[in-house]
Amino acid sequence: MKKFTLIDRLRIPTYDKLTHVQTADLYFNAKKCKRCGICVRVCPGGCIVTDKVTKNDLLQDMKKAVKCGMPHVDVLKTGATLCMACFCCGAACPQGAITIKRNFNPKYFYKRLTQTSDMTYPKKY
Amino acid sequence: MENVVLAQSEETNEGNKNSKNETLSPLGKYEEGMPWNPVEKVILERRSTRAFKPEPLPDGMIHRILEAGRFAPSTGNTQPWKFIVVNSPEILTEMEKDAIKMAKFFMFFIDYTRGNILRRLYILSWVKWIIRFMKNELNPVPFALMSQIAQGKAPVFHGAPTLILMVEDKRGAGCPATDIGICGQNMILAAHSMGAGSCWFGTTKLLMYLPKWKKKFGIKYPYRLNDCIGFGWPSPKADGMVPRETQLVQWYEKGMNDAPRIKKQGE
Repeated sequence: MKKFTLIDRLRIPTYDKLTHVQTADLYFNAKKCKRCGICVRVCPGGCIVTDKVTKNDLLQDMKKAVKCGMPHVDVLKTGATLCMACFCCGAACPQGAITIKRNFNPKYFYKRLTQTSDMTYPKKY
Repeated sequence: MENVVLAQSEETNEGNKNSKNETLSPLGKYEEGMPWNPVEKVILERRSTRAFKPEPLPDGMIHRILEAGRFAPSTGNTQPWKFIVVNSPEILTEMEKDAIKMAKFFMFFIDYTRGNILRRLYILSWVKWIIRFMKNELNPVPFALMSQIAQGKAPVFHGAPTLILMVEDKRGAGCPATDIGICGQNMILAAHSMGAGSCWFGTTKLLMYLPKWKKKFGIKYPYRLNDCIGFGWPSPKADGMVPRETQLVQWYEKGMNDAPRIKKQGE
């Protein structure tokens, strides 16, 4: 288990730096993807976008999703993404085309102390 | 590298899709490695739904969801809650509009991730002190959401046709906020077991900075509004199991002087 040092605790958190936030990685399988736009629509913060549409467009009209291209994760100016590894997109995807590789793992002030980076499905004990 | 990713994706998605002939175990029984029972299934498959059909749930169903909330446990049976159901599309659009307005107002002053480098550095110089004191509200996740809302990339209430505002009575025994959480989770599980979708919206707090909405919903002492839950028919259906990070759990099994055994939960 990790622990906080005094320096960690006194450091004032800013999240402008990419090194402080390790965001999750999503992989979109281009062969399986049918470009239906469901993942863009269910994404909590509008983090998944395609080249032409964002979440707000699809909430108004789902038909815009047709032929709008592959979804991808929106990258901010600083290089960080907004993905927080909820994987709602993967649960909703009818084709099973999305895979998650890395968990959301903030550092320093908000770092997680009792969590490992393996991601597993619910286990029947 | 890409081949490896593709191969793994096929493997992991097996567990993701729910088979149609899935057998469920009966309630009130435990054997090792038995299949999920219906309650566990609802709990594990519940995902926050953020895309709804425009038509609201039938009134009977909302009553039934509220019934699950009414029978939630609370400290000393104080029941420190008050429910407000908002079904009217007119009020919902007005709430959405005002919440966006408030998000834009706050983000104009404190958004340190936007604009040119001079603006970013200047804002960061004092916003980091605010973050120190409001570390929960300005956690990077809600902060990024508010920033997205202000830019018009994400909606506030995600088009939910029914909102249940969970108003907290500050005079409740113990920690009334915990009781509100328990009550809300009860309602959400009831809703998902009936096929509806739901999502907590903490962004209702933005509206509480406007006296207009405080007056409208009657939020004055002893009441406080922090959270609301949106209900509706999910579109597309978003429920399903997802992988989660494993947790390190301390198990105290031996004497007073022995160190706890650390087990990995979920592996």
